[in-house]
Amino acid sequence: MTETVSSKEAKQYIVVKLGNEQYGIDIQYVDNIVRMQKITRVPKAQDFFNGVINLRGEIVPVMSLRVKFELDPDEFTGKTRILILKFEPQAAVGVIVDEVREVVTLDADQIEKVSYNPNDEKSLFLSGIGKHNDNLISLLNIEGIIVEKEKEA
Amino acid sequence: MDVSQYLEIFIDETREHLQSLNEQILILEKEPENVDTINEIFRAAHSLKGMAGTMGYKRMQRLTHDMENVFSEIRNGKMKASPKLVDVLFKGLDALEQYLDVIVNSGDEGTEDNEDIIKVLNEILNEGLGGAAEPAAPAAAASAPAAAAATQAVGESGVKPYTLAEHEKSAIEKALSEKMNAFAMTVYIQETCILKAARAFLVFKALEDLGTVIHSEPAVQDIEDEHFDFDFTVVLLTDKDAETAKKKVENVSEIKIACVEAITMDAVATASATETKAAAESASVQQKDSGAPAAAATQQKASAGKPVVNRSVRVDIDKLDDLMNLVSELIIAKNGLVSINTADVAGLRESGFNEQIEYLERITTNLHQSVMKTRMVPIENVVSRFPRMIRDISKKLDKKMELYMSGEETELDRTVIDEIGDPLMHMLRNAADHGLESNEERIKAGKPEVGSIFLNAYQDGNNVVIEVRDDGKGVDVEKIKKKAVEKGTITSEQAATMTDKEAIDLLFRPSFSTAEKISDLSGRGVGLDVVKSKIEALGGDVEAKTVLGEGTTFIVRLPLTLAIIQALMVELGQEKYAIPLGSIQTIEDVLPSDIKYVQTKEVIHLRGNVIPLIRLRKVLDIPEDDFAPESLTVVIVAKGDRLAGLVIDNLIGQQEIVIKSIGKYINNNKMIGGATILGDGEVALILDANAIV
Repeated sequence: MTETVSSKEAKQYIVVKLGNEQYGIDIQYVDNIVRMQKITRVPKAQDFFNGVINLRGEIVPVMSLRVKFELDPDEFTGKTRILILKFEPQAAVGVIVDEVREVVTLDADQIEKVSYNPNDEKSLFLSGIGKHNDNLISLLNIEGIIVEKEKEA
Repeated sequence: MDVSQYLEIFIDETREHLQSLNEQILILEKEPENVDTINEIFRAAHSLKGMAGTMGYKRMQRLTHDMENVFSEIRNGKMKASPKLVDVLFKGLDALEQYLDVIVNSGDEGTEDNEDIIKVLNEILNEGLGGAAEPAAPAAAASAPAAAAATQAVGESGVKPYTLAEHEKSAIEKALSEKMNAFAMTVYIQETCILKAARAFLVFKALEDLGTVIHSEPAVQDIEDEHFDFDFTVVLLTDKDAETAKKKVENVSEIKIACVEAITMDAVATASATETKAAAESASVQQKDSGAPAAAATQQKASAGKPVVNRSVRVDIDKLDDLMNLVSELIIAKNGLVSINTADVAGLRESGFNEQIEYLERITTNLHQSVMKTRMVPIENVVSRFPRMIRDISKKLDKKMELYMSGEETELDRTVIDEIGDPLMHMLRNAADHGLESNEERIKAGKPEVGSIFLNAYQDGNNVVIEVRDDGKGVDVEKIKKKAVEKGTITSEQAATMTDKEAIDLLFRPSFSTAEKISDLSGRGVGLDVVKSKIEALGGDVEAKTVLGEGTTFIVRLPLTLAIIQALMVELGQEKYAIPLGSIQTIEDVLPSDIKYVQTKEVIHLRGNVIPLIRLRKVLDIPEDDFAPESLTVVIVAKGDRLAGLVIDNLIGQQEIVIKSIGKYINNNKMIGGATILGDGEVALILDANAIV
């Protein structure tokens, strides 16, 4: 990691892996990263919710990004992590990822906007594509992933 | 003797005694002959007096002493509790509460003497003992001119009444005899002023150039801490004339006006007679007049003031014992870890370590729960003062009404308890004032003359529900709509398509609260937006239901992340669930052969009831296993008067659980009322029987 914060527009992202793709999550929403632990199933919940976990006395619902993105089902390994996201205070959500890679800083000019198609729910999930070194990182739109649930529910 | 260390206990106990006095006197009013009540009152008054005396609060002691005298005579059967006496007693209690508030804020009882109450008490006492049935005309007569004099004083010169201590009076007398002038001056600060204390300081500085300020009301310390509204009164000894002093003060910026009045020897003498009454009067006048800015000022006061005493919670000794036990276990666990560290065999170290960690985890979880439990307070602490309030309103409005309360034992977190009082009080007042019709109207409408207000609290799944219901005239939905259209809150098209519920929700709009007229029209709408925002700040919500002519119900729902309930833990396959004990009727063993079918649905016949069976495994999507038990364990739950039998695998047992929310993002068809964390750190879901039945 050699780059420094070069402009005000720069944002830090946590880079995670899902299958072969890399995704970036805005660090300001990340409250915590925890290891995989026992998840209590919640009957009748949306299929992408694995259930709830006990995070130091708080109950936190955990969702699978893989199911949400219609990828292959999760395989829990030693590298599997749960990222605890706080989009709103008092309402944390955990997302399961295959691996947490690193933290990168992206300037605004390193991010390419993606087209937004209101008919395609999946396009809501991304806020842009980040270019970092030679890698492309899909930047997740946390709001689209978490909050949009309510309408479906 | 330094008694400051006992201050907290004193305040706690005084509160309790006052509350108990309030309750008992209410009973006394209804049953003047009730010996138990009288004894109880006497005991409470006596301890109150003793405590106040010990703490050195002379004024408080004096007032309680005189009240106790009256109680003593009642107890000896020499007097009767007349309505007038009860009124005075309540006034006395209010005065004691004021003392207490002052003590909480400053550690001192203040300077209010409450002479008028003491006087009336003594008169009643004398009458009672003299056996004369003469009405207490002198008392009323005595207080009337005093009040008149006081209002006059405020009216003419603009100087607010003040109270002088003995030494201050003598200082004035001395000054006057030395041909100096003594002035009383009330300084009014502009309501827009932000740094009131600073302005006041400048006023004091200006006055001290002229002479000596011997007295100020509120006290100088309070003024410095901004513990005053927009005026304060000082007594100044100076050799200059009134005009000079007035000018000097009004030169300070942001001072609206300074009213000056010369003090003469006569004034000093008569001041003491009128001051108490006057102070009370002016206080109430002031409150009415100052309105919004004053409210803001009080809020400021609340945040800026540093109460002398910390807030405290009384904790059941059992809960403390639990905590103590857990702490001892914590120490044992720590020692266990220490000894493992010194063990030589590596394998043993490894396994022992994990064991201890698990143990530790269990203890800390329990510790957390126990601490939470100590924060839970029954709602009784808030609602117990409401009967008294309703009585006062009833008297004031001359409207007969009765308050019925239930569910006072429902527990809420301390922070919620502290905040919920005001909104509830507001809703009750609304119900009493606007909701209930006058007695005549009620009789005309064919209702019982005495209006009823109900306050019910109960636990409903993840929520605590508090209902405030009246059997008054209800809210006219059409009138609300009309008014809302007039005010431009909604368009007439919106009004036409609006459901009744939406229309009633308009009452909670801020714009409605400011409209005075709507309260005459519909009987509702003053300050309900404040109620709503306060309740929402606590994470709850409030709704209103109304039937025109039959009454209105306000339902406050407080979702409790901290709520603790008794639950039955059950096992289904590998999963554990909690069923709130409140909804469970019985637990039955049912033979498979006892299951009957009605319209292809499984039912059982139990003691005359046909109860549908619900296979929880199916409902909760738990795969069936092949194991066919000899008999089924069925938990019979009730929703209202409907019963249902939940088929489970195994009972684990009863447990006290802390309800936690599972968050709003996860959708669960309302079947899951929340989750709880078990002793081993595992999460168990709480079934909401209401949603399943």
